[in-house]
Amino acid sequence: MSQDAAHHAPTSTGIDHKKLIMWLFLASDCMFFGTLISTHLLYRKLYPTGFTDAEGHQQFVQKLFNIELTSFSTFILLMSSFLMALAVSAMHKGQLKSFRRNVVGVIFFGLIFLGCQVYEFTHFYHQGLTIQNSVLGSTFYVLTGTHGTHVAIGILWLVMLYFYSFTGKLGGHVGALDVEVAGLYWHFVDIVWIIIFTAVYLVEYLGPSGIWGNGLPVLAK
Amino acid sequence: MSHDAHHAPVASKLELAPERSDLGLYRPDRTRGLLDWLTTVDHKKIGVLYGAFAMLYFLIGGLEALAIRTQLARPDQTFVTARMYNQLFTMHGTTMIFLGVMPLSAAFFNFLVPLQIGARDVAFPRLNAFSLWAFVFGAFVLNASWLFEFGHLAGWFDGFAWHQALTYTDFAPANGWFSYAPLSGTFGQANAALQAPRFTGVGTDFWIIGIQILGVASLAASFNFICTIINMRAKGMTMMRLPVFTWMTLVTSFLIILAFPAITVALIELMFDRQFGANFFNPSAGGQPVLWQHLFWIFGHPEVYILVLPAMGIVSEILPTFSGKALFGYPIIVFSGAVIGFLGFAVWSHHMFTTGLGPVPTAAFALLTMAIAVPTGVKIFNWLGTIWGGRIRFTPPMVLALGFIWMFMCGGFSGVMHSAAPADSQQQDSYFVIAHFHYVLLGGVLLGLMAGLYFWFPKIFGRMPNATVAYVASGLVILGFNLAFGPMHYLGLAGQPRRTHTYHAGNGWEDWNFVATVGAFILGIGVFMAFANLVYTAFKGPKCSSDPWDGRTLEWSLPSPVPEYNFAQSPVVSARDAFTEHKHGTKRIAYEADGGEAGVHMPSQSWMPMLAAGGFLFIGFGMPMMAMGIPHAGWIVVSGVAVLFAGIWFWALEGPGGYMLKTPAVSPTPAGTPAASTSAH
Repeated sequence: MSQDAAHHAPTSTGIDHKKLIMWLFLASDCMFFGTLISTHLLYRKLYPTGFTDAEGHQQFVQKLFNIELTSFSTFILLMSSFLMALAVSAMHKGQLKSFRRNVVGVIFFGLIFLGCQVYEFTHFYHQGLTIQNSVLGSTFYVLTGTHGTHVAIGILWLVMLYFYSFTGKLGGHVGALDVEVAGLYWHFVDIVWIIIFTAVYLVEYLGPSGIWGNGLPVLAK
Repeated sequence: MSHDAHHAPVASKLELAPERSDLGLYRPDRTRGLLDWLTTVDHKKIGVLYGAFAMLYFLIGGLEALAIRTQLARPDQTFVTARMYNQLFTMHGTTMIFLGVMPLSAAFFNFLVPLQIGARDVAFPRLNAFSLWAFVFGAFVLNASWLFEFGHLAGWFDGFAWHQALTYTDFAPANGWFSYAPLSGTFGQANAALQAPRFTGVGTDFWIIGIQILGVASLAASFNFICTIINMRAKGMTMMRLPVFTWMTLVTSFLIILAFPAITVALIELMFDRQFGANFFNPSAGGQPVLWQHLFWIFGHPEVYILVLPAMGIVSEILPTFSGKALFGYPIIVFSGAVIGFLGFAVWSHHMFTTGLGPVPTAAFALLTMAIAVPTGVKIFNWLGTIWGGRIRFTPPMVLALGFIWMFMCGGFSGVMHSAAPADSQQQDSYFVIAHFHYVLLGGVLLGLMAGLYFWFPKIFGRMPNATVAYVASGLVILGFNLAFGPMHYLGLAGQPRRTHTYHAGNGWEDWNFVATVGAFILGIGVFMAFANLVYTAFKGPKCSSDPWDGRTLEWSLPSPVPEYNFAQSPVVSARDAFTEHKHGTKRIAYEADGGEAGVHMPSQSWMPMLAAGGFLFIGFGMPMMAMGIPHAGWIVVSGVAVLFAGIWFWALEGPGGYMLKTPAVSPTPAGTPAASTSAH
């Protein structure tokens, strides 16, 4: 029996193989992002002041971050999850046109998020934060870059599903399952971003001088 | 949904009409010989391939060990240089753990799990083939570093500018299997080419990418096995009726999917340090090398249980069979295995007692480490309870399994000594540690795996290994092993340091080092004899019955070798040790009304798993070549990623396919008549 035969013979638990293996992958991915986020937070605790720019000045991350832009891209990514839920629901009802409409929205919003990240990386680089000149640069770019790679793979996957839907082969129980599994992945990547947004960006603005006590009053920004 | 699954049932796949996949390419279903092995999705063939490669790497790792012991036989020897010695012990450890023990365990997972749970295949047959080929290519990348090293020693690269620019020229990994930063990392400032100065040569880059690829293989296989065990059990096969080996596979797979991400991230960070000038572990830029130790051991300690739990599962199958009794305390054995899995994540810092964690963490990790001895001890007492009062039959697998208990206990006792942090501070980096983990990994794991090989070989090939050779080999292994590693306890306490290529005369270490070397060669001869016996058996051994040991679990109810559809009709079980109950008890195995002339569904074979995994071959060679400074090597990496994505894409688009295979009607063994016993003596 193979995965395509899942609908011929019921599984022991009643959960489809594909859905179960995606949950297992996501469990593993939790540990993956957990390790990356821990690395970042450990170094933030150790070196609260941030980084030294090209002119040799100490720079604080709050000066670097553009919290309005990141909040906007976070909101966009959240809304893409909403559209993904609609796409999955449409597929379960067999409404292929509605699925396509929603999935194009997900792809579009995902691209906006990636665009914001590209802008942010470029901007930070010109501000003097590079992967080589500080531990902060290494942890920040590798952590958010890994998340961006996850988003990009998700977009690639959804683009393929979108075009595949025109071949007439995406349908029925198996088609709905395939879309639902892609949806699980997409929602997970969004949830990880909520954690990254909180742990990497928002906590820097907690209290009068940031959670790491780096001495820069937030209001003086 | 797919039209191609509805062929008329055939008696053999060679009778199938040529068939195109959704991509328009012919499916390699009708192949035989080499092409069949390269495209197979049959879990039994994949298991055999895993086992064959694992045995090959056991021999390579063994040769590396013998070179180490030859160098250390006498004081002040110059059999190998210090630099070569570093490469030898690094590759010995890496090979034995990642290319020997883990794949041999995976061979048993593959071959046994579907048979033991009454399934016809794993949940994702093509993903299973992908795991195999990713392992094969990752192992090749790691060992290709030796080819570069020999090329370097032979002077082939001398004329090249990139070779003259290298500071260090150890092409094989030379940083230990743990690869501690900053030795494995960088220091100082990165230059314009984004590269910071390093302490080791490109061997470390081979190690990083090789382990990364092997990690992908292990992760993919583990997702597959968890899915298979949870979702594809035969009717009546409840979780608490699963054979213990299958239970230990499940626990091991969970350990792999939760522990490997830590090493994956650590390797990514180290790779960014070495190749793109990042500062994760660069001390001159504020990086903390101790973070590498934490990340490595968060993976590395569960890894110890990833290595040992399958062997424990194997022993838990063998002891009941040859004691003629059910496993004593089955639920306790299962839960102890799960508790070991949980606690395995909470003891990693006992590898780091001497880094200065502070008194509270040190005390906490010492206590947790002592606690993990409890479920392990519980298992040992349950095994003793199993053979207590049994009608013991001595066979090669039984002898090896008893050796496992004895040797593993010795390793466990010195492990409890390590858990006391003050004592551990004295033992750190001495030969005492070497003695401890070889008693666990060789006396424990290798004996367990060898017992498994001799136990299931008649099922895999339908042929019985020669028992006399097996006894002699087992005796040599156990004798040579104790001669080699017993004295190391003393040598360690007498102060001989690990990872040091030689020692001077006059420290009182000469005699026992010589004894250890003699023991190592006896051990090497024993392992070689045991493997040679198996290889001979696979081709020429005498045929045996399908149930030569009076086995207890479902795989023994099948013909040997097992037909490609496994079960002609799906079994319905109503007891633990289903086949024993079927033969000697009252609860017979029933069979569902599937199969027969209507056929059973078989997955189609495919080239795509190997193609996708082939991308890793390019990535695996490209990354170290980038680190060597070979021009345009980055394009090899890019093309590797392209091949990987193309493989996955074609894999998705070709459609799963499948065909129906006719099976003969089942003729179950009548209850109360034990199967004819043709055990080896």
